[in-house]
Amino acid sequence: MSGHSSWPEWIYVGVVIALMVWVGAEAWEAERLVDHVPADAEVIKVTGQQWFWSFEHEDGTKEIGELHVKAGKAYKFEIESKDVNHSFNIHDYVVLMDAVPGRVNTVWFAPTEVGQHDIQCREYCGLIHYNMRGTLYVEDPSS
Amino acid sequence: MVLELQKPRPIWQIMFSTHHTDVGLLYLITSLAFLFMGGALALAIRAELFLPGSQIISDSMTFNRIFTVHGTTLIFLFIIPFASSVGNYFVPIMVRYKDMAYPKLNAIAFWMIPPAGALIWLGFADFTWYATPPYSIISAPGPAADMWIFGLKILGISSVLGAINFIVTILKCKHPDMSIGQVPLLAWSFLSSSLIILVAIPTFAAALLMLLTDRLGVSGFFNPALGGDPIAYAHLFWFTFHPEVYVLVIPAIGMMYEIIPRFSRKPIHSYQSGIFAFVLLSIVGFSSWAHHMYATGMSFTEKTVFMVGTLAAVPASALHVFNFVATMWNGRIKFATPMMWAVGGIALFFSAGAGGVANAAMPLDFQTHDSYWVVGHFHLFVMGTIAFGSIGFLYYMFPYVTGRMYNEKMGKLHFVMSFIGTVMVFFTQHVLGLYGMPRRIFDYPPIPEWIAMNQIASVGAMIIGVSMVIFLANMIYSSGKGKLANTEDPFGVGGKYYYPFEVKNPSH
Amino acid sequence: MKKMIVLFLVLAVMVTVPVIESAFAAGDEPGQYLDRRVIIWNLFFKMMTIAFVVGAVVSGTIIWQCWRFRESNPKAKPTPYEGTDW
Repeated sequence: MSGHSSWPEWIYVGVVIALMVWVGAEAWEAERLVDHVPADAEVIKVTGQQWFWSFEHEDGTKEIGELHVKAGKAYKFEIESKDVNHSFNIHDYVVLMDAVPGRVNTVWFAPTEVGQHDIQCREYCGLIHYNMRGTLYVEDPSS
Repeated sequence: MVLELQKPRPIWQIMFSTHHTDVGLLYLITSLAFLFMGGALALAIRAELFLPGSQIISDSMTFNRIFTVHGTTLIFLFIIPFASSVGNYFVPIMVRYKDMAYPKLNAIAFWMIPPAGALIWLGFADFTWYATPPYSIISAPGPAADMWIFGLKILGISSVLGAINFIVTILKCKHPDMSIGQVPLLAWSFLSSSLIILVAIPTFAAALLMLLTDRLGVSGFFNPALGGDPIAYAHLFWFTFHPEVYVLVIPAIGMMYEIIPRFSRKPIHSYQSGIFAFVLLSIVGFSSWAHHMYATGMSFTEKTVFMVGTLAAVPASALHVFNFVATMWNGRIKFATPMMWAVGGIALFFSAGAGGVANAAMPLDFQTHDSYWVVGHFHLFVMGTIAFGSIGFLYYMFPYVTGRMYNEKMGKLHFVMSFIGTVMVFFTQHVLGLYGMPRRIFDYPPIPEWIAMNQIASVGAMIIGVSMVIFLANMIYSSGKGKLANTEDPFGVGGKYYYPFEVKNPSH
Repeated sequence: MKKMIVLFLVLAVMVTVPVIESAFAAGDEPGQYLDRRVIIWNLFFKMMTIAFVVGAVVSGTIIWQCWRFRESNPKAKPTPYEGTDW
């Protein structure tokens, strides 16, 4: 049963701690940037229920399973759930936030190019969780 | 204890025994049975996901039940009982005591596992191993859900009883000549993981009762319709189960601490830093639970606190890796099967840890949360590190338990195939997660990248499956017909072993 | 050893204090139009660069020492502990 620690071990631990501090600082900075919602972001209410997504725009238009937004504008999602936990996810835009009944969670994004992207549910919600999907249409702002 | 098969006894003598080696044998056989049962479910999942659409499982409800029972089985009915088996065999020997401190309690703790396993398997619940409320309260079909809750309740009590027994055995029953600073690291790993269990489990035990009364409709702790909050359950659950990750991994590290010096023919590089890292990990492990909940709508401050808490656990784990590498340095390493498993486990431990650091970084959670990245990450821990350490240790103690040697070639083949399979399945799943595939889905849209990566993962899983058949054949054949082991030095590496075969079993 | 611990404590405090200060100084000013994909994927690739470099060093070391210190290596020599009851 020999063994005290040695100086290479101290250096090694120092390097590990320094790496972790760097990871923490970088992550903190990135999170700070993506956390701040622009003041003119348009609110879209997102409701998850077994097993589809519905959306309500600021002007009152409602959509089910599809979401139409304009490129070059910022949108803030206010996400809630009617029954069990879901997770609203547009993977191509790295948008993800849980829909928890009794809470309103927010996340924002600003689509840049015209295109179509998948919307899916990332939190287990039962029988048809695997097919709780929708489509995001990013449209040309001039049209 | 050993030589069960050379001096056969009636089975009831083992079943009703309270001797620590008999209880250890019962734990061992039970945990291996559940390893194969849970593994079969994993193969079913991988076969189903080989292509989009329904393959071998007809509906999503069956699929959901399968992955729920797969996770519950392998964590609670394989990893934990396997660790208890090793602890039962070795802890009393290492502290030089005749038995566990409370032999009857020990047997009771074991005998809670079969009924709990029966409840989980006969119920076949579908609400994931996390029992996610409010789904588990308002949607999950009974009686499966209730049977799962009772099964987990029993397993929790069994863990607590086992933990008390290990703590008392190590602290109070160790030989008076032996200070706590001389207790081997494997026993230290059981001391730290048992202390974590005592602190962590009661929270989940409370949450389970609340879940049950919620399901019965008499309370609404986690039911938003009655004013409850599902996030409260998430906190209670993860306050138990993030430390529980360390409960699973610390004994496996302890097993590597037994294997690696032995086969390097050198004492451990730094005994003190091993103890230090165990103790540090079991304290810091309690500061990181909510990193599982970044996406539930936590504030920036909360996220920062738990990110720091998570990163703080890294240096302690890194110390173990350093210790292993430094122990092997300048050794004369014999690559027998146990050593191969231990070294493979260290290599995968690093990958799993690096993935864990990425998970802890708050914004990356938007990419990886509840995707296949997470599945790949934690499987690298439970399979790549914990199961590798455990299986390596099983090969190591095989000659002590049976008095015979396993087949070395088959053992090595088992390792090589499992290692390749593990890399194929779980590294691929990381990338699959980055492509956005959610976990816990029965079917997926035919996206070409998803299909390709799912197929690589499924092939890898089949390789692991075949290697496990080889393993089973090796264990069964060698325990009856293997060549007799030299129990003084079964691996021909010299040094002073802990000789479990010297234990006096009153039944022998 | 005590000096080392004190030194590390001082260093740790010197690193943490400015970080905590800047963490609390961060204002609540509304953000600009940022592309979260760029920020998050950049962070991801930065971390993976470091992870793969460190991983290469760690696994390279393990693979090298498995090759060098295996008992069948011609240069292998008995450790000082062999034949003793360590």
